[in-house]
Amino acid sequence: MATMTRSTITVMLAPAVTLIGVFILVPMALTIWLSFHDWSTQTGFETARYVGLRNYQDIFGPISVGRDFKRAFVNTAIYTALSVAIILPLSVMLGLLVYQTRVRGGHLLRAVLFSTYMVPMVAVALVWSKLYSPAEGPINQMLGWVGVAPGTWLSSPDTALVSIVFLNVWQQVGYFTVLIIAGLTQIPNALYEAARIDGANPVQEFFGITLPLLRRTLLFSAVIAVINAVQVFEPVALITQGGPAGSTNVLTYHIRRVGIERAQGGLGSAMAVTLMLSLIVVVVALFAFARKGERE
Amino acid sequence: MSGTTKPFRRNNPSGFDALLVLLIVVAAVVAAFPLVWMVLSSFKTPAESMQVPPVWLPKTPSLDSYSEVAGVINAGRSFWNSAVIATVTTAGILVTSLMAGYAFAKYRFRGRDALFALLIATMFLPPIVTLIPLYRLVTYIGLNGSLFGVIVPHLANAFGIFLMRQFIAGVPDDLIDAARVDGASELRIVFSVVAPAVVPALAALTLFAFVYHWNTYLWPLTVLQGNTDDYPIVISLSRLLSYNRGAMNTHLVMAGATLAVLPPLVMFVLLQRFFVDSIVSSGVKG
Repeated sequence: MATMTRSTITVMLAPAVTLIGVFILVPMALTIWLSFHDWSTQTGFETARYVGLRNYQDIFGPISVGRDFKRAFVNTAIYTALSVAIILPLSVMLGLLVYQTRVRGGHLLRAVLFSTYMVPMVAVALVWSKLYSPAEGPINQMLGWVGVAPGTWLSSPDTALVSIVFLNVWQQVGYFTVLIIAGLTQIPNALYEAARIDGANPVQEFFGITLPLLRRTLLFSAVIAVINAVQVFEPVALITQGGPAGSTNVLTYHIRRVGIERAQGGLGSAMAVTLMLSLIVVVVALFAFARKGERE
Repeated sequence: MSGTTKPFRRNNPSGFDALLVLLIVVAAVVAAFPLVWMVLSSFKTPAESMQVPPVWLPKTPSLDSYSEVAGVINAGRSFWNSAVIATVTTAGILVTSLMAGYAFAKYRFRGRDALFALLIATMFLPPIVTLIPLYRLVTYIGLNGSLFGVIVPHLANAFGIFLMRQFIAGVPDDLIDAARVDGASELRIVFSVVAPAVVPALAALTLFAFVYHWNTYLWPLTVLQGNTDDYPIVISLSRLLSYNRGAMNTHLVMAGATLAVLPPLVMFVLLQRFFVDSIVSSGVKG
């Protein structure tokens, strides 16, 4: 570890720090500042007019601005919770399957699962919109083979959001499976050997050793899964446009529509700040939950 | 993975093995199905792709959909735009991450840990949170509506700096000191001593960055506005869905999607072993 002259340190850090500062940190500060202003995105920042908390009152208020935002917020919360609730257990199951299996298919499965993570979300959305197609799509056809009634999928307010969750899970689960496998490799084999001598069965091993020792991996995975989930945009923008009946209007789509397309920069910024604060609350809660588990 | 005991792995009857194989096959088939369906559908005729019940295998596989895609969207131009965006952005990320990662791993200076923490925090910020002012900011600088506007804001990112710091920390100080004794400048050391020592991490970062910026949709859509000439393939692809709306566009969409998926998948096949290794070290051990 060397102590360098200030100019050397500056040269090394300047490109990255300048870029991240100008294009992430400054916009972050501006988002917070704009959330207290009335501002059209089509005009310069100098035209912003201070309005105190009015944007926040509006987006949580009873008028249509508030109704739409609250709906988008709830939709995003449901979408995120469902995504995480499916992805985490599924990735643990797939991770165990790949990691502990003695058959050679394990690596192939990992490669196939992970390759879906490489597919652009635009392509995922387009392909799945055709898979879900009620009449000429293969999903309803296959359900028919096993005697299940055809689903309405993306075309009904009751099922559209869940249908998008499924395609998200399909795209993302491989990434989380690799994370879980990485976590599994960190668990010392001696623990399993000791448990076996004590006569533990596989179920006891899973709940007594595997799951507790995966806690850090699961915490990291949960945080990433939440942050990925709130970014859902392409399937909504391309296929449902927030519908039917507002059922898939999610925050990334809604904030862009308000803040960019309708140029209501102040309102959109207040929504963005609310999203960021909510994320901080969720992440802190996840950490607290993991720590509580550690103490018990 | 030297041990012989792994969870559930015991001297059990082969019936258990058969069950595992079955599960693996089922999982792989389910995971691969949408992509297989995509490719199969791209070879169908327009009529076949709309048939009820759906046809699985095209009777006379044809490449007509692909030439039709080329006529509906400017596929060559879009591919070129995507290649420029992904390649230039990735090159920028490699350079900025190497330099900053080296400084954070090997230099001692006041405020280092606080600055690092501040940069890393941006890794967890969803792009939508800064989208509105960023759009305005890029307009101020005069970069909106151009490929520069798509590329410049992403030439550095926190994940790259984090990954490089992790790996450069493992490069022996002796190696660096020896180069200093020989009179090499610090910039020279970064690119001709440190970089060759962290090639696997650079390969992983190349894959992450290339795939992410080939696939990304929200920012180019926002900054390019209506400038269709500069659209990357993912935006042009999305326009296939509205082409001939309600009529027969499935074969087109599937052919376009197949084309757009190819470059990231090829990258993945070439570099996947680095990808998996770096997830292990960046995500969990970190």
